[in-house]
Amino acid sequence: MSRQAEMSLRVKCGGMKSGNGLRADRSGVTGDGADTGRSAGRHTEGGRAAGRTALLALGRTEALLESSGSCGAPEGTMVVSVRSWVANEGGKHLVLMLWLGGNTWLFMNTFLLYSTGQQYHYLYKMLGLGLCISRASASVLNLNCSLVLLPMCRSLLTFVRGTHAVSSRKTRRLLDKSKTFHVACGVAICVFSVVHVSAHLVNVVNFSVSYSDDFPALNLARYRGEDPKMIILIPGITGVLLVLILFLMFTSSSYCIRVSNYEIFWYTHNLFIIFYIILMVHMVGGALKYQTNIEAHPPGCLRANQSSTEQQGEDLEQREDEEGRCREDAHFQPHYPQTWLWVSGPLCLYCVERFYRYIRSSDPVTIVTVVRHPCDVIELRMLKKNFKARPGQYIVLNCPGVSSFENHPFTLTTIECVFTCFIVTNCLLFNSSQCPTENKETFGIHLRVVGDWTGGFKHTHSLGLLLYFCPRCIFRLYVDGPFGSPSEEVFNYDVSLCVAGGIGVTPFACVLHALLDGWTGFRLQRLYFVWVCRELQSFYWFAELLCALHHKLWQENRPDYFNLKLYISQTDGLQSMSEEKYRPLSSRLLVGRPKWKLLLDEIGKSNKHKRVGVFCCGPKGISRTLHRLCNSARSSGTTFEFNKESFC
Amino acid sequence: MGQIEWAMWANEQALAAGLILLTGGVVGVAGQFRGWEFAAYAVAAGVFVCLLEYPRSKRAKGTSVARSGQYCFTVCVKAFGPLTRNYYVRAFLHAAICVPGGFMLATVLGCVCLGIASLIYLAAAIRGEHWEPILPQKDTRKPVAQSIKNPPQNPPPRPPAELRRKPAKDLESAAYDNPMSVTDE
Repeated sequence: MSRQAEMSLRVKCGGMKSGNGLRADRSGVTGDGADTGRSAGRHTEGGRAAGRTALLALGRTEALLESSGSCGAPEGTMVVSVRSWVANEGGKHLVLMLWLGGNTWLFMNTFLLYSTGQQYHYLYKMLGLGLCISRASASVLNLNCSLVLLPMCRSLLTFVRGTHAVSSRKTRRLLDKSKTFHVACGVAICVFSVVHVSAHLVNVVNFSVSYSDDFPALNLARYRGEDPKMIILIPGITGVLLVLILFLMFTSSSYCIRVSNYEIFWYTHNLFIIFYIILMVHMVGGALKYQTNIEAHPPGCLRANQSSTEQQGEDLEQREDEEGRCREDAHFQPHYPQTWLWVSGPLCLYCVERFYRYIRSSDPVTIVTVVRHPCDVIELRMLKKNFKARPGQYIVLNCPGVSSFENHPFTLTTIECVFTCFIVTNCLLFNSSQCPTENKETFGIHLRVVGDWTGGFKHTHSLGLLLYFCPRCIFRLYVDGPFGSPSEEVFNYDVSLCVAGGIGVTPFACVLHALLDGWTGFRLQRLYFVWVCRELQSFYWFAELLCALHHKLWQENRPDYFNLKLYISQTDGLQSMSEEKYRPLSSRLLVGRPKWKLLLDEIGKSNKHKRVGVFCCGPKGISRTLHRLCNSARSSGTTFEFNKESFC
Repeated sequence: MGQIEWAMWANEQALAAGLILLTGGVVGVAGQFRGWEFAAYAVAAGVFVCLLEYPRSKRAKGTSVARSGQYCFTVCVKAFGPLTRNYYVRAFLHAAICVPGGFMLATVLGCVCLGIASLIYLAAAIRGEHWEPILPQKDTRKPVAQSIKNPPQNPPPRPPAELRRKPAKDLESAAYDNPMSVTDE
């Protein structure tokens, strides 16, 4: 009904010239089938007019809803569909449930062990609930401290992502959320640290107040009523240090600080190594002890002995039995520190990974070309030995000339394989098999001059050109990577939609280069490419690439493979690309923000019952809208799987 | 190191420290530990520090992200004028508040954390930073361009009426091509 209304509305405006209402009505509904049109034609003139006005009104409201839906998203237009939600969010939430379940089980298990375990009976009597809560939260902390390191082993995750034989696409999609998992474990560590510290505060007071005269070995205090501050031993001081480091790490990792001053975040987060070293010695000192001789001295038998002596002349046999069971005094032994069992594996793995990355990035790269693009963008082409990358991956740059310690991530925009043969003349003298060849990959990035580091980079480079006699002294560049990112999956869907906002087009530029080299080898059958920019000049960054790909696909008779839509969000001024060679772009250029719902509906209709991969790299507004749309109901049966680049 | 705004980090730390002080104080009061008066003080001090530190300052360079619902706190804090604008005052205030927390075990952590925050505030004050309120900006509409105000006074130039009228004899040129089929099928 709504489509009919839209079409009749459009036709009404166009059909004014022909002036015949019957025709307008008829052609409006032929899209859905001739039967309805014929039946509509039998209506009376008055009814038709009324029907037309009603359709017009409906069409207008529909248009209003669509336009408001694209920017404001009123709740009524986007209904979350269970199927779409499960396809998009199911995996993540399953992992979350497993993690929560694991934590809860560990907490309850340890809690019950300390509250009902025979070996902790006397300790529990002295300390009460504080013992159980502190030990349970400690075990949860052990688990989370070991899990928190694993998502940060980026080289390992890149390797797992690259081995297609190992993991399915669903598992690789889970890898996109590794940083979120790291944050979740971090938050759990903070929360349970608070619980742990509070419970131990209560324990310390109980050690002082409920000083046990029966079992002196169990006590931590030296006498009853000792000042709790004096009872602190190694666990106490190490605990305070741990909380301080955690405090520094946590307060500098909020979104605001990371966005404005990444260095504070990075340097405080690298205190983790001190955190882990102190964590492993935290339990040394053995404040909490367990009973070792439960068979010889069943807990509670001392009290039974005392009470039975009070009852005179009753149950002599029972008394003998009980005295027999309680053969010796209770022996207590402190726990061995267990944290190292949990933590050492992931810690070693992470340290090995950092070391490997350091070694790999210690080779400086050679800069091959530098190109200046409009809108403050510099393209850098570099060369490095044994550098292998896949489209969609990113690297981390370090330029000592600008700042010794800052590292900035940039997505690769070009990867080319260049075989060079050294010393050709020598090869002619010897066998050709002895001719040394080097497999070098030139790779390129586009960086936008926006902050201090990129500004300094641009400045340093211009100085480097001027001081030609010693350019290498000033301009050394170190590259760490490449690391995997969600954009690598573009080729693994039948249909993909890539949405780029401004400089966020860089991951897709590499994808387009790869398609230009050979589009037949991939699973991808159709690519929709939407690029939204603020200014017209930004499109010139990749205008040649887009036109080249377009021409190639048309030449090879696959015009529907690559569907391009360019949008300029700033609507003032006359904007068009006048060059003849950029004709494919100027004819696909639209002014104004895209209407995402209509776009997804259109893609859905052309690709019914298919799984479309949606890749977004741009501002938060766009990715949030797209994510919501991907989760909502779709009448065409298409599932949209949303993948987002995390650092754009 | 670029342009690091220490005050931003100090603000996050002071807010977290206020919460830690508050939690420690609550535990101390609830457990009725010895010296629980210090814990009660810590509760009050923690609440005060949280209220003072909740509104974020406007950044000198770049976009500031306000905390949700901070507008009323901004107005209250702004009302104190130079007392809250100056970071030296804040540094010494936090240093003074944290001292009584050190006398009781439950609040020692809050005391140390607030002390660290006060040191960072001192560093920020030495660098010359100060607190600016984030106030909602009034939307200034773009001024209408000058040319719109003056509509054209004269009609556009047209050829004389005789040339404009199509000749009745020439039916071919007068025919109009319909973009859509007008026959009934």
